[in-house]
Amino acid sequence: MSELYPSIAQCAVLAAALKILLFPAYKSTDFEVHRNWLAITNSLPVQEWYYEKTSEWTLDYPPFFAYFEWILSQAARFADPEMLNIQNLGYDSWQTIFFQRSTVIATEFVLIYALQKYIDTSPTKKTAHAAALSVLLSPGLLIIDHIHFQYNGFLYGILVLSLVLARKQSTLLLSGLFFAALLCLKHIYLYLAPAYFVYLLRVYCLHPRSIFAIQFGNCIKLGIGIISIFGAAFGPFALWGQIPQLLSRLFPFSRGLCHAYWAPNVWSMYSFTDRVLIILGPYLGIPVDEAAKNSVTRGLVGDTSFAVLPDIPPIWTFYLTLFFQIIPLAKLFVKPDWDTFVGAVTMCGYASFLFGWHVHEKAILLVIIPFSLLALKDRRYLGAFRPLAVAGHVSLFPLLFTVHEFPVKTVYTVFWLVAFLIAFDRLAPASSHHRIFLLDRFSLLYIAVAIPLIIYCSLVHHLIFGQRYEFLPLMFTSSYSAVGVVGSWIGFSVVYMSS
Amino acid sequence: MAPHNPSSGHKPRKRRAQDEAVSGGSTRNTVLVDASAGTRRPAFPLVAFLWPARGHVSPWFTIPIILMVAFLFRLATGFWGYSGSNSPPMHGDFEAQRHWMEITIHLPISQWYSYDLQWWGLDYPPLTAYHSWLLGKIGSIFDPEWFALDASRALDDPNLKVYMRGTALVSEYLTYIPAAVVLVRRYSRIQGVNSWEAYIALVAILMQPATILIDHGHFQYNTVMLGFLLASISSMMAGRLLWSCVFFVASLGFKQMALFYAPAVFAYLLGSCIFPRINVVRFLSIAVVTIISFALLFAPLILGAWFDAYRGIALPEIETPPLLAALPFPIDEKAWYYAPMFQLAQSIHRIFPFARGIFEDKVANIWCAIHTFHKLHRYSSTMVQRAALVATSAAIFPPCFILFLKPRKELLPWGLAATSWGFFLCSYQVHEKNVLLPLLPMIVFLAGETGLSPSIRAWVGLANMLGVWTMFPLLKRDELRVPYFVLSLLWAWLIGLPPISLSAYSSQVPNPVNVFTTLIHLGVYGAMIAWHFAESYVAPPENKPDLWVVANVLVGAAGFSICYLWCLWNLLVKSGIAPKSWGGSKAKEQ
Repeated sequence: MSELYPSIAQCAVLAAALKILLFPAYKSTDFEVHRNWLAITNSLPVQEWYYEKTSEWTLDYPPFFAYFEWILSQAARFADPEMLNIQNLGYDSWQTIFFQRSTVIATEFVLIYALQKYIDTSPTKKTAHAAALSVLLSPGLLIIDHIHFQYNGFLYGILVLSLVLARKQSTLLLSGLFFAALLCLKHIYLYLAPAYFVYLLRVYCLHPRSIFAIQFGNCIKLGIGIISIFGAAFGPFALWGQIPQLLSRLFPFSRGLCHAYWAPNVWSMYSFTDRVLIILGPYLGIPVDEAAKNSVTRGLVGDTSFAVLPDIPPIWTFYLTLFFQIIPLAKLFVKPDWDTFVGAVTMCGYASFLFGWHVHEKAILLVIIPFSLLALKDRRYLGAFRPLAVAGHVSLFPLLFTVHEFPVKTVYTVFWLVAFLIAFDRLAPASSHHRIFLLDRFSLLYIAVAIPLIIYCSLVHHLIFGQRYEFLPLMFTSSYSAVGVVGSWIGFSVVYMSS
Repeated sequence: MAPHNPSSGHKPRKRRAQDEAVSGGSTRNTVLVDASAGTRRPAFPLVAFLWPARGHVSPWFTIPIILMVAFLFRLATGFWGYSGSNSPPMHGDFEAQRHWMEITIHLPISQWYSYDLQWWGLDYPPLTAYHSWLLGKIGSIFDPEWFALDASRALDDPNLKVYMRGTALVSEYLTYIPAAVVLVRRYSRIQGVNSWEAYIALVAILMQPATILIDHGHFQYNTVMLGFLLASISSMMAGRLLWSCVFFVASLGFKQMALFYAPAVFAYLLGSCIFPRINVVRFLSIAVVTIISFALLFAPLILGAWFDAYRGIALPEIETPPLLAALPFPIDEKAWYYAPMFQLAQSIHRIFPFARGIFEDKVANIWCAIHTFHKLHRYSSTMVQRAALVATSAAIFPPCFILFLKPRKELLPWGLAATSWGFFLCSYQVHEKNVLLPLLPMIVFLAGETGLSPSIRAWVGLANMLGVWTMFPLLKRDELRVPYFVLSLLWAWLIGLPPISLSAYSSQVPNPVNVFTTLIHLGVYGAMIAWHFAESYVAPPENKPDLWVVANVLVGAAGFSICYLWCLWNLLVKSGIAPKSWGGSKAKEQ
C-alpha cells in the first residue's frame, strides 16, 4: 500500500540532470586537489604516495581514499591521460572536468542505495521516505560536492549504510566494519567514532540484558574484522615504516583554532565577542592586546590570537569536545536502542563541530545528515532540526562566492527549505512527551533574520563598502549560523536526554 | 464560504476548494490504479514528482516550488555556451542583443534603425528596442564598458555573460512565467481539469527543452514574445478581448515572428464579433484598441524622431527607405513630418526584410525539403515568394476559417497551433528557432481536457522532441550538446516518452493511441536516434558535406507536416465540423 512518490531513484535522476548541467560551474581548489591525487596514485609507487609534494595539495586522506583515487585513475586514463601527470598543476581540460564531476555523481550511488535501505528498514515508511529525500537532495551536498567539489555523497553514503546496518542484530558486525572502512577513507569521521564504540560495545560485545556478561565470540569477530580492515589500509605503510609521515599528513596540528572563514561554532561566537570587545574595550576599561588585533580579520590560516579574551589552548577544545560527547554516550550506554544511537552520533557530531579545533564549515554535514534520519521522529525533534537546517546551509554560502553561482546556491537552498520544512511539518507526528522547549517562536524569528542577512552579505555590503571590510559579511554569516547551530544543539540535547 | 463565527474572530481554513482539487475531474490519465492490489501509481515520472502536492496543499507552496525548480534548470543551462561566443568575425545572437543595448543607450532615437547596419543593425520591432534600452541602462550601472559605443563590440566578458543571462531570466519571469501560470489555471478550469493535473501540465510546459535551450543557452528573448502571446490567449479565454489585443500587439511589437499567430488571432476576434450574433460595438472597440496599442508602440519612436529633428540632429545618411520612396505623392524633406515618416518607414523596412532569401540556413520546412530534390534557385525570387504566399494561405486558411466560424475558447490553442504550423512549414524567411512558435500553443494542449492522456501527450511529446532535435545542428555550434541531451532526455523521461519510455504507447491505459499513430511515432523516434548515431560516428561523403543536416531537415519537415495535420484534424473534430466518430480513439471522450 505504500505510495511513496517521487521515489529515491526518480529524485536521483532529476538531481543528476541538474548536476550535469552544473558541470561548467565554479570549482574550488579541491578540484585540483583531487586531480593531483589521481595523478599521484596513478603514476607513483605506493611507497611514495605520502611523500610526494610537487603540488602544495599533498595527499592528506587515509589510505582507502588513496586506493579509491587509484581505482578512479584507471578509468581517468581513457578520458584524458594528461590529468594523470603530476607536473600538470592546475590542469582542467573539459575532459578532466567531465570525468571528475561524473565520478562524483556516479559514486553517489552509494548514498542512493543506503537511503533506499534506510526506507526499507524503517517502520514508518512515509517519514523515512521524506527524510531520505531531504538527504539525497541536500543543498549541502550540492554545494560542496557538485559545485565546490568533493566526494561527500559517496562517504556519507557509507555512513548512512553503516547506520542502517546497525538496526538489526544480525548486521551489527557489518555496520561496525563499514564504519571502520569509512574511517580509513576519511578520518573526519573519527568524531563520530565514540558513539559507535559505545553502541557496539553495549549491544554487540556485552549481553543485551546484563552488562557483565561479555559475548566473547562477538568481541573476537569484531576485533579481527576491524584489525584486518585497518591492516589493509595502514598495514603496508606500517611495514615500510611510514606511519609517522602518514600521521603528520593526516593530522596537521599546526593549524589555528578557527579556520580562515570561521565555521559557525562556539569559537566563532567567542571570536565575534572578542571583536566586539576590541571596539568596546577602551570604553569599558578593558586592556586590548594591540598585536593580536588584526590577526583574525586578515583571514590567515594560522594561530588565532585574541585581543581581549584569553587564548584557547588546543587541549581545552579536546576536553570540551570529550565532555560534551561523554554525556550523551552515557545515556546511550544505559538505553542502547537504534534511535538513541543515531541521536548519540548526532550529539558527537555536534560536540566536535561546536568545540573542535580548526573545524571546517563543511563538517556541519556530520550533524545534519545523521540528524535528518531522526528529524521526523516527532515534532520536538523537528523543532530542533529547523534552525540547524537553515543555519547549516546558510553557513555554507561563503564557499561559493562567484556571481553566477550565487543564485544557484540561494535558490536551491530556499527551494529545499520550503519543500522539506513544509513536508516535514505535515508529516512529523505529535510528541508523546510534554513540550519542554519553546523553540518554535525562536526558530521562526531566526529563519526570518536569514533573509536580510543574505541580502546584506551578498549585495548591500558590497555597495556600501566595496572591497573594504571584507571580513564583515563572513563574520556576520558565521556568527548568525553559530547562533542557529548552538540553538539547535541545545534543543536537541534536551530532547535527546529526556526521551 | 464556511459560515463565519464573528465572536471568535477565527476564520476556519477554506478546505472546499482544495477538496475539489482531488475529487473534481478525474485523474485516470495520470494515476493508474491496480484494482487487484488496491494500489495507485503515477502514469509517468512527472506525476510522481507532483504526488506530494495532491490533496490539501496550497498553491502558495506548490507554485513557488515549481517556479524555483524551473529557475534552477534555466540558470544551470546558462553556464554553457551561447551563440557566437569567441567566434569572430560576426559572433552571434548574443552579440546582436548586446549591441542593441549599446546603440539604444548611446544614440539618438532617430538613428536606432539606421546605425551601421552591417554590424547587427537593429531589425526587431520597437518593444525590443525599448527593452534593450532599459537593459542597457541597468547594465551600465554595473559596468559601462559592457555597452561602450563601438568599443564594446564582440565583447566576451564572463561578467557580461552573467548579466545577460540574468536579463533573459528576469524578462522571462516577468512575462512568460506568470502568463503560463495564469493561462494553465484558466484553461484547465474551463476544460474541467482538476488543479493538481493542471500543475503537472504547468511543469511540463515550463520544462519544455526547446525554449530553455534557445533562450538560456543559445541566447534570445523569445519568451517575452511568447509570454505576451500566452497572456493574449489567456485574456481571450477570460473573455477580455480588448486586453488580448493589447497583449497581442505587445507580442508582435517585441518580435515580428508573432505574425505566425496573427491570422488565427484575427479570425478568432472577428468571429467573436459575428457569431453567435453580430456585435458592432465589440468590433469597433477591438479595432480602436488595436490601433491605439500600435500607436503607443510606435509613439516613442516617432515622437523621438520628431524631437531629434527639432533639436537639429540630422537624419542618418542612408538611402531613403523603400516604403518612403514608393509613396505615390512627393513629400517635402523639410516638412516637420518628414523625420517621423522616415523613421517609421525605415523601422518597418528593417523589421520586414523582404530582400532576403526564402530560407536562411537549413530549416525543416517544405521549401528546404523541396530544395533538396529540386533546386529553387532556378526560379526568380518573386516567383518563389508568390509560391510561398499561396502555400501559406492554403495551409492557414482551414484553421483560421474554423476559428472564425466557431470562435470558442477551447478551440483557440488548436487553431493557433495549426496556423503557426502552417506558417512555419510554408512561409518565407523562416529560422529553425521559429519552431518555438508552433510548439507553444501545442504544449498548452497538455493543460486541456484529456491533455495528459497518452493520445495527446504522445503527440505533443513528438512535436517537442522533434522540434528540439531539428535545432541540434544550431545548438551544436553553440557548444550546447550536453544541455541539449540532458534537457531533452529529462523532459522525455518526465513525460514518459521515447527514447526513455514507451508508456505513452501502451494499450492498457485510458485514451490509448492507435496502432497507426504508434507506428508513425516510433518511426520518427527511430529516425532521430539513428540520425544522432550517424551524425556523430559516420562522416558524410565528400561531395555531400551537408548530408546529415539535410537528413535532419527532411525528417523534421515530414514530422512537422504530420503534426500540422493532426492539429487540423483535431480542430475539425473538436469544433464539431467533422463528426465525433471520425476522431477515432484520439478524440474519444471518457
